[in-house]
Amino acid sequence: MQTVIQVKNLKKSYGNFQALNGISFDVEKGTIYGLLGHNGAGKSTTIECILGTKIIDSGEVTVLSQSPLKTRKQLFQKIGVQFQNSAYQDRIKVKEICEINHSLYKKATDWKVMLNKFGLMDKMNAFVAELSGGERQKLYIILAVMHNPEVVFLDELTTGLDPKARREVWKYIHTLRDQGVTIFLTSHYMDEVENLCDKISILKKGEILISGTVQEVISKSGKANMDEAFLYFAEEEAE
Amino acid sequence: MRTLWLMYKTEAKLSVREFSSVLFGVLVPIGLMILLGVLYGDATLANNPSVRQIDVSFSAVATLGICSAGLMGVPLALSDYRWRKILKRYKVTPISPMTLLMAHVFFCFSLSIVSTLFVYIVAFMFGFAFKGSVLTFILAYLLVMVSMHAIGLIIASLAPNSKIAGVICSLVYFTMIFISGATIPYEIMPKAMQVVSDFMPLTQGIKLLKAVSMGETLSNSLLSLTVLIVVAVTGTAIAVRFFKWE
Repeated sequence: MQTVIQVKNLKKSYGNFQALNGISFDVEKGTIYGLLGHNGAGKSTTIECILGTKIIDSGEVTVLSQSPLKTRKQLFQKIGVQFQNSAYQDRIKVKEICEINHSLYKKATDWKVMLNKFGLMDKMNAFVAELSGGERQKLYIILAVMHNPEVVFLDELTTGLDPKARREVWKYIHTLRDQGVTIFLTSHYMDEVENLCDKISILKKGEILISGTVQEVISKSGKANMDEAFLYFAEEEAE
Repeated sequence: MRTLWLMYKTEAKLSVREFSSVLFGVLVPIGLMILLGVLYGDATLANNPSVRQIDVSFSAVATLGICSAGLMGVPLALSDYRWRKILKRYKVTPISPMTLLMAHVFFCFSLSIVSTLFVYIVAFMFGFAFKGSVLTFILAYLLVMVSMHAIGLIIASLAPNSKIAGVICSLVYFTMIFISGATIPYEIMPKAMQVVSDFMPLTQGIKLLKAVSMGETLSNSLLSLTVLIVVAVTGTAIAVRFFKWE
């Protein structure tokens, strides 16, 4: 199996606060990897260190065997990213943001095809700010995958979505994975993690407490389900 | 290139939708030029009867569009884009967020130039006579434009957030347009105020444009040229050194 994302002994601190204290993991091609943890555990910092938007203190990070800092231009042709609260200009329209995004990449799918696939075709001339939470989230996913990337990073992708929209998004993520795309995601929802992830890690105070498949993590915790297993690990020694 | 062009077009559309930059950058200068044209008629300067008031006021009003675009448009948009993490988003794409910054600055340049062209047409209809070299005027104009935008970049680079950037922009913009002679003519200011006014880079810009439009040689404007070049270079250097994408 080909390793797509490799993180070795990654450390990152902000002043005196040790955000990541030497984490290591590998993500294999064509799998969905979930990074779990409470707010402030270091999930977003991990994504940003992997993507190079934050400079790491020490350790090693490679995506598709390359350093995201050194070969940015080539590498980001093959990486798709959806950040929490994705950024867009006030008063920008759906088609404008799609056109610009499309122009960034060498082999991007026609954005109209993407909008159609996600049922957003009639929103083409709408302002991004006027979309519903679910529609906007779908748009962010379109922007992240329009260029047929090999790796996709999704930071809390279904936060704020209604149950129907979440299931649609899950279905699409499965389709992507079946096409061989590697997906790295963070999530707060254990049902989502159970539905999607081939492998998970639970992050707490900048350290990985446990990694494995959902089944492995549940059985190691001795609990009945993923919800309880997550709480068991993420809140261990909390009190 | 294609991305830059798409971004440029989009920045233009966003700006028209938002409207304040069109209002302050184009409509207000046109309105002011009409007003001055009506008020002045054929009047000449009190202390120099050989110079018509409309001829000196053109250069002053011509800089209003530059100020609106450079001192308000650029810093407000860039600090807003930084706050909204738009610049950061481009860091995880094959292009640099610099492309968006350039698209916006180029659009602000265009808006300044459009504003000045309209102001020229109005001034011309009121009998403004341009006596200098057109090429020299264009070069001088570009220098003033770059210099004012460099001040805007300093604000965008050093203001910690978009709220503070907004306050600084208003302060700099209004002080500059009222004290430098862009709205209230420099010629009617009391001597003491002219001294204060001379410290404003914009005052030097207006002086330079006036001198060129009246056909004076550039050697009379060495001070103005120096000030404008220093501001342009320093501003750009500060922006390169301190501008943060997030």
